[in-house]
Amino acid sequence: MNEILSVSGLTKHYGSIQAISDLELQIEHGQVFGILGPNGSGKTTTLSIITGIIHANSGSYQWFGRDPSPESLQKIGSLVEIPYFYPYLSLLQNLKIIATIKNIPEEDIGRVLGLTNLLSRKHSKFSTLSLGMKQRLGISAAMLGNPEVLVLDEPTNGLDPEGFAEVRELILQEARNGKTIILASHILDEVEKVCSHVAVLKQGKVIARGKVHELMAGDDVVRVTTEKPEALKDLLVREGWTKTITKENGDLVITLTDDKSPRDLNAFAFEKGHVLDKIQVSKHSLESQFLELVKNNTH
Amino acid sequence: MKHLLKIELIKTLNNATFRIILILHFILFLLLVYLATRIDFSVPGFSTQNMFMFPNVWGLFSWFASWFNLLFLGIIIAVLGGNEFAFRTARLQVTNGLSRNELLLSKIILILLVAAWGMILVFLSSTVTGLIFSDGLTLQKIFEGSYIVLVYFVQAVGYMCFALLMASLFKSNALSIMMYLLYFIMIEPLFRLFFPKVIRPYFPVKIISGLTPVPEFLSLTSESQFITSSGKNQLDFDAIGLMPSSIPGYLSFILSLVYIGLFVVLTWLIIKRKDL
Repeated sequence: MNEILSVSGLTKHYGSIQAISDLELQIEHGQVFGILGPNGSGKTTTLSIITGIIHANSGSYQWFGRDPSPESLQKIGSLVEIPYFYPYLSLLQNLKIIATIKNIPEEDIGRVLGLTNLLSRKHSKFSTLSLGMKQRLGISAAMLGNPEVLVLDEPTNGLDPEGFAEVRELILQEARNGKTIILASHILDEVEKVCSHVAVLKQGKVIARGKVHELMAGDDVVRVTTEKPEALKDLLVREGWTKTITKENGDLVITLTDDKSPRDLNAFAFEKGHVLDKIQVSKHSLESQFLELVKNNTH
Repeated sequence: MKHLLKIELIKTLNNATFRIILILHFILFLLLVYLATRIDFSVPGFSTQNMFMFPNVWGLFSWFASWFNLLFLGIIIAVLGGNEFAFRTARLQVTNGLSRNELLLSKIILILLVAAWGMILVFLSSTVTGLIFSDGLTLQKIFEGSYIVLVYFVQAVGYMCFALLMASLFKSNALSIMMYLLYFIMIEPLFRLFFPKVIRPYFPVKIISGLTPVPEFLSLTSESQFITSSGKNQLDFDAIGLMPSSIPGYLSFILSLVYIGLFVVLTWLIIKRKDL
């Protein structure tokens, strides 16, 4: 196993507020690991701890199989919470400070500013940038020195749709180059499109984890309009066709068992004397699935 | 070490507050020195000319320069140190692999640089003025008493280390500057009054500000006690700080170093534990 980050039993509270409790994470080389959760679920707290900004109350973490040290952080590019820089310094001067700390040749500054289309603004003061540009600079700074591991907290925060797509493409590009990426987000779509693995956080606890396509694979939802919905519902339940079935506005909303298709359902219903006036199949929305996941886990 | 110096120089030389305070410090100090040398009067046994001769000039200008430590040099550090927390740039540096020890060390390097700047200013202005006003000089005569410039350096470091402690203690810059000034001009002086007289001279502000006392030839040594008609001391110059400290110089110097060490250790403990 080529373990990049392992987190065990991590706990942090701010006064009486429990930010994360007993958090466990294992992230391996080459994974694009999403940390997904609603606002306040502990994503930023987790990333702040593993990047050395805040101290955990208990628990531990290891980078590259070793106890955390400034040296390990030099090998990681990170953007946690919102980008903080010296407001009165230019982009170039700000990145020079980081390059000096990380012992990276200053020539790399031009490259990373180019990646996020900020090269023409390199002599501007940080304070003159728009929110989206600040976010881009944060991403540039994380990419400085071409680190093996990227830690990105809500990287598309504050970006316009174009920037959104560009940054997403940038992350995918880094992933294709074999980088390990840890990405926190509350946007399910982002995690689904970018990540290979995901851990879902709720109130500071991991409530689900696994490969994105497995965890997020949704069943199709079939919506059926018929004359006698109650009778059809009883029939389907009795015959073991459904995983779930509910009545909504006179329609039946059904998720079928894995071996049955909507086509089978139509034939079966007709055979049993139920004419279906309307049958509509929709992909279970990932968003609602995420919400379900989060909702079902109330303690 | 070298990389810490480099990042501090990028941060400070491009900072408007830093540049303006240092330029003001430079101009006002030289103006003070210039105006002082314009004063020309003499009474029997005392001549202003005398003040600018070696070795007196060393003590006089170090004393002048010490007036600026509280307002100028200390506040520079309170602002630049506080900025690291206010702008959250301490966090930027730590996430990129600067250790918390280095975070503190880089600010200490800055403090030493600023104190060196002040010391060079005092040294050069004293040397030039002394050369103008004195006759019949030997090298030994020139530098006799010049050690006071080094004492001034330690004093400047002391003020700035205390300012750094305040900057790491309080989240807002305004608050840390206010607490820094209040501590010097009110909190400690009032606090001292609750202690017996023998202990009072050993408080940090008393010790550090007493490093560069009023030069003896200006002091009121011979009239240290005002006797009123009732025969009691009305004013205690020693207590209100107008008099040179009663503690021997070498002890003040050593105690100052101890207090500076204490400020640095406290700052280190705070930075070590702080969530950035």
